[in-house]
Amino acid sequence: MRIYRDANFFVGIFLFLGFFSSNAVSEEQFPEKPITLIVPYAAGGSSDLNARVFASFLDDYLGQPVLIKLVPGQAGQKGTLEAVRSKPDGHTLLFTDNYRDQLHRYTFRNSAYDTNTDLVTVARVNYGAIGIIVRGDSIYETWVQLEAAAKLRPGGVTMSHSGLWVAFFVPAIQVMKDLDLQLRMVPYRGGGPAKAALLAGDVDMSMAFPSTIAADAEAGRVRILATAGSERLIPNVPSFVEIGLPPTTGFMHRVVMAPTGISEKRLMTLRKAFSRMQQEQGYQRMMNRLGENTEYLDGTAYEAVRVQQSSDYRELAGSLFSQ
Amino acid sequence: MMEVFLAGLDAALRVDTFVWISGGLLLGMLMGSLPGFTTTMGMSVLVPISFLVGDPLIGIPFLIGVYKGGIYGGSVPAILIAMPGTGASIATVFDGHELTKQGKSRKALEMGLYASVISDFFSDIFTLVMIVPVGAIVLGFGPPEIASVMFLSLVIIAVTSTGPVMKGLLMLCLGIWFGFIGADPFSGAARYTFGTNQLYDGFHLIPMLIGLFALPEIFNAVKEGDQSNSRIATFVGKHLEFSEFKKSLRTIFRSTAIGTFIGLVPGLGQPIAAMMGYIAAKNSSKTPEKFGKGELDGVAGAEAANNAVNGPTMVPLLTLGIPGDAVTALLLGAFMMQGLRPGPTLLETNGEVVFAILIAMVVANILFLIIGYLTIPLFTKVVTIKRSLLIPVTIMLAFAGTYLARSNPFDIVTLIGFGLVGIAARTAKFDVAPMVMGFILGRELEYSFGQTLALAGDDWLHFAFVERIGMTAVVLATPIIGIFLGVRMNRFRQKAAAGEQG
Repeated sequence: MRIYRDANFFVGIFLFLGFFSSNAVSEEQFPEKPITLIVPYAAGGSSDLNARVFASFLDDYLGQPVLIKLVPGQAGQKGTLEAVRSKPDGHTLLFTDNYRDQLHRYTFRNSAYDTNTDLVTVARVNYGAIGIIVRGDSIYETWVQLEAAAKLRPGGVTMSHSGLWVAFFVPAIQVMKDLDLQLRMVPYRGGGPAKAALLAGDVDMSMAFPSTIAADAEAGRVRILATAGSERLIPNVPSFVEIGLPPTTGFMHRVVMAPTGISEKRLMTLRKAFSRMQQEQGYQRMMNRLGENTEYLDGTAYEAVRVQQSSDYRELAGSLFSQ
Repeated sequence: MMEVFLAGLDAALRVDTFVWISGGLLLGMLMGSLPGFTTTMGMSVLVPISFLVGDPLIGIPFLIGVYKGGIYGGSVPAILIAMPGTGASIATVFDGHELTKQGKSRKALEMGLYASVISDFFSDIFTLVMIVPVGAIVLGFGPPEIASVMFLSLVIIAVTSTGPVMKGLLMLCLGIWFGFIGADPFSGAARYTFGTNQLYDGFHLIPMLIGLFALPEIFNAVKEGDQSNSRIATFVGKHLEFSEFKKSLRTIFRSTAIGTFIGLVPGLGQPIAAMMGYIAAKNSSKTPEKFGKGELDGVAGAEAANNAVNGPTMVPLLTLGIPGDAVTALLLGAFMMQGLRPGPTLLETNGEVVFAILIAMVVANILFLIIGYLTIPLFTKVVTIKRSLLIPVTIMLAFAGTYLARSNPFDIVTLIGFGLVGIAARTAKFDVAPMVMGFILGRELEYSFGQTLALAGDDWLHFAFVERIGMTAVVLATPIIGIFLGVRMNRFRQKAAAGEQG
């Protein structure tokens, strides 16, 4: 089973077969061999699951299997580097997110690659909009009350997060910067334990993607105080814009990228495959069951989002590291 | 709740469910027994199969089979070739491989299997019965409590190491220091990485274990060559006798309790459970000086503890929607794909399916026993293979397994480095077990203690003596427990020394 999924094995077979087949492979035949999707996350995370769902559907639209290669390590930098260094022929792609793509260049200062010049967007697969949450019986009924408490006692309000410089941590530091608050940040190993800490009452607040706590919210164990974006996602729960945050704060975009140098034609083939896949009902159903949306965004459109993120995060990093 | 339970029982007793569980168990055992190929990776590869199977009573029990089989399967190479198949078998190697060298590999494997099955069975029953009442209680055990228990464990390891105290202590400290290498979990600052990116994530457990345990064995085997007076047995030995099994029954149940508890706490996992089960077995034994030299009780203590974790991890997962580790995160995905949303409402809305899955999980243990028993003769063939063939294969497995775990070439360097450490330690008669324990528990202590400090804030007196009195009690009791166990261990040390002289 493993050997079937192992990209190297297939690449080896195809290289071997390549000797016997015609060497002149025309551009029209792309993709001519299985596509390797580098996933720079550890097994078992939500990104791993997302990748496995769309990889299993993408086969039909590319005419070749999509093989997942997990390359975790160094907060995603290892896998990213491997993708950047691969041959830009469209047969190696990278699954990443906006924090790894645009923020980590400031926080980790990796000189081995530059995501802006080395990677080009194929498609944004979907996104998650974060929510600020407290326990169901919390004394904080609204965000206004929590904000007031945090203003009154800087560092007096504790927040659990899932690890440095990722999903819950980044929105939290953006909240702290934009609203001039000081929260006491307590790290946990992943979103599960971070949520457990909130339910246990060990911390005052946390963040979560609303889909992961929908059942808890219904049962009254968790109260959502605000959600990302300019629109209200849940009735009577203010959006981030209403509480004074920029509309871009708190979004995690899941993106597929290709190394720069890929031919325009191949990039178009890949973009078209993603665009057609996201219309398939079976795919939408699977993603929805996982609690994810299928808000696809074309590669060209996402490139514009990247530019905006780059300047936002530069400012954020600047304010953090200048102190 | 009773009608729901009975409906679940009715739904669970299906032939196809158990065919799939058997398939999962077998796959899990094979994957677990492949060094470097962990249960998490196995499940991550197989999880799409459960997505595609539309029936939750097939897809999820299949994955549970893989989970159970994988955690057990890791013990097979640990016992036979001193190479833990997964991190969960970390403590099995201490005594398991010694038994193989003494020609008792069949006994060791059978003990591992029985301990795994019994502990899995009872912890699954616990899960089934207690899932409703216990759900919310598990949250009472947070970072402060974890930190205090880790502290206590490290003190116990330090005072009760087999052999000279100073040697054990030195290795323990070395292990703790190895755990510090890499990014600081709180600030992200790099520590002892010498400016390289490779060490940013710290040492990976799998290459470290293979290097420390398997490479010295290979080295020794090569050194001894084909000499007929080789001290390494080439026979599988007799079956486990009932009297031997009965002697370890207390250990199995103790480790089951430890493993069950650790499974309930999100985020601790099998390696820590195995370690604590082993330490507890050693400290309750009448012959603790024999641990590490081929004690069946040690295998039982470690294997019962790691398998007992499996079932109870379902409690926080199903009742609170909290996955404690990567395996349960994958299971969470599998549940959601079937339209089941783990969390406080799951038992009300889909109680029947949940109970059916849990019942299938309990019944699966019978298949676990049968399949496990049937595969033992297959695995034990390894022992009788000619050394000149086995050694190259073992070397290949060591390197391939190391690379497989993370596809990271640097792990090969880790493997060789720790291999040299292992060989040097063996030559100088240092026990590497305390080092591995220090590595795992030290990291956990650092992390949970850091969290505790962040949670406590400025008013730490109130925090320690009012909010978290449990933590403080454990910390205050630690010196007393330490002295008591240390004195007890000293008696055994003197007895062993007298035995050697007389």
